[in-house]
Amino acid sequence: MKLWVYVLRRLILLVPTLIGLTLLVFALEHAGGPSVFLALYINPHLTGSARQQLVDQLTARFHLNDPIYVQYFYWLGAILQGDWGTSAQNGQAVTTNFVWFMPNTIMLTVVASLLTWVISIPIGVYSATRRDSVLDQGVRVATFTLYSMPIFLIGFALFLTFGTSWHLLPAQGNIDDNLLPTLSSKSWFDSNAVSYPTHIYLIDALLHGDVPIAWNAFLHVILPAVALTLALLAGIIRILRVSMLEVLDQDYIRLARAKGVPERTVNNFHAKKNALLPTVTTFGYLVSGLFGGAVVIEEIFGFKGIGWWTTMAFLNSDIAVVMGSTLVFGIVLVLTTLILDILYGFLDPRIRYE
Amino acid sequence: MADALVIRDLHVQFHTRRGVYKALNGVNLRLRRGEVLGIAGESGCGKTTMGLAVMALLPRNASFPQGQIIFDNKDLMNLPREYWERVGDRFNPKQNERILRRVSKAMGRIRGVRISMVFQEPMTSLNPVLSVGFQIAEAIYVHDPASLAHRVLARTRATASQMPELLAILGTARDDEAAVKEFAAKHDLLGIEDQVLSVWRRDDVHISRKEKAIRLLAGQQIRPVERNIVETVARAGSIPPRFSRVPVLSRVVRRVLLKEGYRKARELLTSLGIPHAERVLKMYPHELSGGMRQRVVIAIALVNNPEVIIMDEPTSAVDVTVQAQILELVKRIRTSVSAAFLVISHDLAVLAEVSDRIAIMYAGRIVEVAPTDKILRNPLHPYTQLLISAIPTLEGKPVEGIKGEVPDMRALPAGCAFHPRCPFAFEKCLEIIPIDLPHDRDQLVACWLYEAK
Amino acid sequence: METIKEEKGRFDEWKLSARVFFANRTAVAGLVIFLLFVGDAIIVEVAPGLVGVQYPDSVVPPLFSITHPECVNQAPEPPSFAHPFGTTEYGVPGEGCLDVLQLVMKAIRIDLAISLFVVLVGAAVGTVIGVVSAYIGRLLDEAMMRITDVFFSVPFLILALALSFVLGRTVLNMAWALIIIWWPLYARYGRSLTLSTKEATYIEAAKAAGSGRLKIMFKHIFPNVVPPVLVQISLDVGTVVGIFATLAFIGVIPNALVPELGALANIGLNLAPLGYWWTVIVPGGTITLFSLAVNLMGDGLRDVIDPRRRS
Repeated sequence: MKLWVYVLRRLILLVPTLIGLTLLVFALEHAGGPSVFLALYINPHLTGSARQQLVDQLTARFHLNDPIYVQYFYWLGAILQGDWGTSAQNGQAVTTNFVWFMPNTIMLTVVASLLTWVISIPIGVYSATRRDSVLDQGVRVATFTLYSMPIFLIGFALFLTFGTSWHLLPAQGNIDDNLLPTLSSKSWFDSNAVSYPTHIYLIDALLHGDVPIAWNAFLHVILPAVALTLALLAGIIRILRVSMLEVLDQDYIRLARAKGVPERTVNNFHAKKNALLPTVTTFGYLVSGLFGGAVVIEEIFGFKGIGWWTTMAFLNSDIAVVMGSTLVFGIVLVLTTLILDILYGFLDPRIRYE
Repeated sequence: MADALVIRDLHVQFHTRRGVYKALNGVNLRLRRGEVLGIAGESGCGKTTMGLAVMALLPRNASFPQGQIIFDNKDLMNLPREYWERVGDRFNPKQNERILRRVSKAMGRIRGVRISMVFQEPMTSLNPVLSVGFQIAEAIYVHDPASLAHRVLARTRATASQMPELLAILGTARDDEAAVKEFAAKHDLLGIEDQVLSVWRRDDVHISRKEKAIRLLAGQQIRPVERNIVETVARAGSIPPRFSRVPVLSRVVRRVLLKEGYRKARELLTSLGIPHAERVLKMYPHELSGGMRQRVVIAIALVNNPEVIIMDEPTSAVDVTVQAQILELVKRIRTSVSAAFLVISHDLAVLAEVSDRIAIMYAGRIVEVAPTDKILRNPLHPYTQLLISAIPTLEGKPVEGIKGEVPDMRALPAGCAFHPRCPFAFEKCLEIIPIDLPHDRDQLVACWLYEAK
Repeated sequence: METIKEEKGRFDEWKLSARVFFANRTAVAGLVIFLLFVGDAIIVEVAPGLVGVQYPDSVVPPLFSITHPECVNQAPEPPSFAHPFGTTEYGVPGEGCLDVLQLVMKAIRIDLAISLFVVLVGAAVGTVIGVVSAYIGRLLDEAMMRITDVFFSVPFLILALALSFVLGRTVLNMAWALIIIWWPLYARYGRSLTLSTKEATYIEAAKAAGSGRLKIMFKHIFPNVVPPVLVQISLDVGTVVGIFATLAFIGVIPNALVPELGALANIGLNLAPLGYWWTVIVPGGTITLFSLAVNLMGDGLRDVIDPRRRS
């Protein structure tokens, strides 16, 4: 089964990419000189002899007086042990912060992706099969416009209409502010406003049977998720439509028709299966924009995920979090791309059986 | 009717950005039942377009200003022609697409089951993401799921004692097909015929193995759910709505019937000369060679016993050795199948080997039709004569190409389309389009040279 | 006889290309809008007074609060005859009466300039690297692929943030950050185009005739690489405007007095929820319009280049 070879090859390619990623982050962290690097681990409020002590410790630990390639290995060692520095905003370790905030972003992106696929496939297929119909033209105009809109505009427009002007849906944070104090009395909630076990309010509330909180949290997810979905939709529907049109021109579709297969089956089975392949590939390219978009959307809606946290860090010059974000997003993106590649290998028999 | 298919004065045009291509300009053709009619001509003369027109598989920028395609006493070109008569020059691809969609729907009961087509490129004719077995099985499932149900039922009903009786009959019968049919009718084993005959008629295995295989057909065990499904479909003659509408159940039904379809596909592939058919069924098109793929496509075309089979350039996209195999296959098939064949090729040599009659096409019209040996020994139309002289032969006669080029289909010359290249052209040829003139008993020529004086 | 036919053939090709492009009404609309943007950029740069724009390089004119004391803490006004897109307010204490239409007109040329800079430099550097590494092949090619892989492994907005953080949060540095992010795309694109052209037999023929390697490259590969890359550049100009504006919207440029569409939206970020929606929607809409125009044009260009779509 050639699929295993394919997967193995992709896994092997992963290694240089990850190493390169660490090199990139290392370069960024050291680009400003040792003092900038030290800021990753030193609280800016620390001064005087305590600070000097810490500086000496760090210099020794990271071998900052040795040549740069030596420094890289010690830095990498710290990274692998989970010490990515300390956030200047809340004094917590960078990794701890990520563990708190990452699940929310993952939930947001996963929900957006699923929604996108569920909506795009029927629309894209139908639009291609009823080419130039009123619906097709409408879809083309809509996706074209959405595609041209910067992500912040989509998010902001939703924010203004549904959140502020019409007050239909909450548009800030993960949960209503007035509910926060009530959370501190819950067993699954700690003093840092972090919920357990998944750190996602919605899921943890459901796990603990707290429906009102869960509902409230759910409402807060809607607008950000819809914003991300709209942005993704545009790209996916466009490529699906185009690839459906290409597929429908192919000989094997003509053969299916010549066989007497009903038009609906030809479109929804024979053609769609083939058209989805390049769409999955395109989705792989769009994931990078999806994560970037999540950053913007989280900032607009104050949705406390890792994107929001990174933006705050950026605006507050919290270098540890910014650099850590780069690394963690890189790792997540690489893993996501790998999973998508494997999925594609599974879907396309030409790769599965070669 | 002695004719399987009649094409009368068919005109087909393609509307493109570069102009209107008049692909077919008054094609007249009669395909007789059971015959193999070859269509020869250079590329661009409209042969493929004609085949696609019969199947109603033309793209949306094709219009049909005139003509009829008569199959089973019905004109298949009714709707598109009406549209053209209404719309005339204000041709709109979008509107046309809707018309063509309706025609497609109407053709759903004909395509793949009464008229089927084998396309030119075996490399791209099969869906790359579906297994080969599925693509064959689907052809039966879509049209005649009941036959699949009957096959299963027949196997479950047949008892071990009936098989030796059948074998005895087969051993002595002259017409094995009729004998099996009689036996099946007598013992209420409708559906067993194909299965028995496909084993019996194999010429690559010893008779003892055949007998064993036929004996094994009897007494198949079947689970109650499957039995229910199969019996209902067999009784209803098709898949009843209460099966097809319910989401999960319809999938189960499909799976059961397709499984049987795979079995039938295996029988068919074996009879077409593909070894280890069970393994091939599970493969995907890219895993097969060009020759195998072509056989699969032919299997798809044959599987529902159509009345007309159109083969478009069956040998052009494959190499010479595979070409020979396919021609052998075609010759073998026509003895066991009652269909009429329309074989399209630019290679007269290929057509000479398989056809009973050959028709020559030029610039969207048929210019000559005659039985194969007559047309090869005594070609009447100047174009035919030049085509034949262009065939390389064993004698090593100098091969002459035909001077000039195929005319621009957007701007055909007046009168006979061939006159610019014809060494015998005279005034009438430049003005009036030749009509089909009978010659001898069974030849037709569209050339003024043969106008009876 | 032959050459005259050939010449006529080439001219016909241009005519056909133009016909194909202009037959596409939406592409022409895109072109018109695009030209409007370019026209605005040129006029504001060369003769701002002609359209009533003062101080084209700054959102707020110098010493504004002193020269226009009545505008201090003046709330933004909705669109009206005097201010077709309304007014906005900058900073705390707020300097109001800032006509949004004027701001947008000023900002367009900045965005256009930045975007052109980023895309042209990124494309030039990237394409050359891609073509060279694909043509030379083997180790250099592998190295290039791995390096670009690394750049693709981080979501581009995040990488832009990190780079801006390191390089410094100014407009120029952001442009450099985007160039660093953009060149790998063109390196890959140029590489794939080169590889497909490399397969073409006439390269082999030229090699057989004994032309030098460099000559082969320039003569055969570039004509096949340059047109698609040009189409991609025209598309990317729109994309980069969007990305740059998004970064500015997040707030990468602190205290932005530079008129830039994203920065303008950022200015409106705190005003819009109070009901002054035009402060964000107008700059955002302008970006959308520009992107739309560019994408429409790009589609039209693709129709021209792709031989299949021509019929």
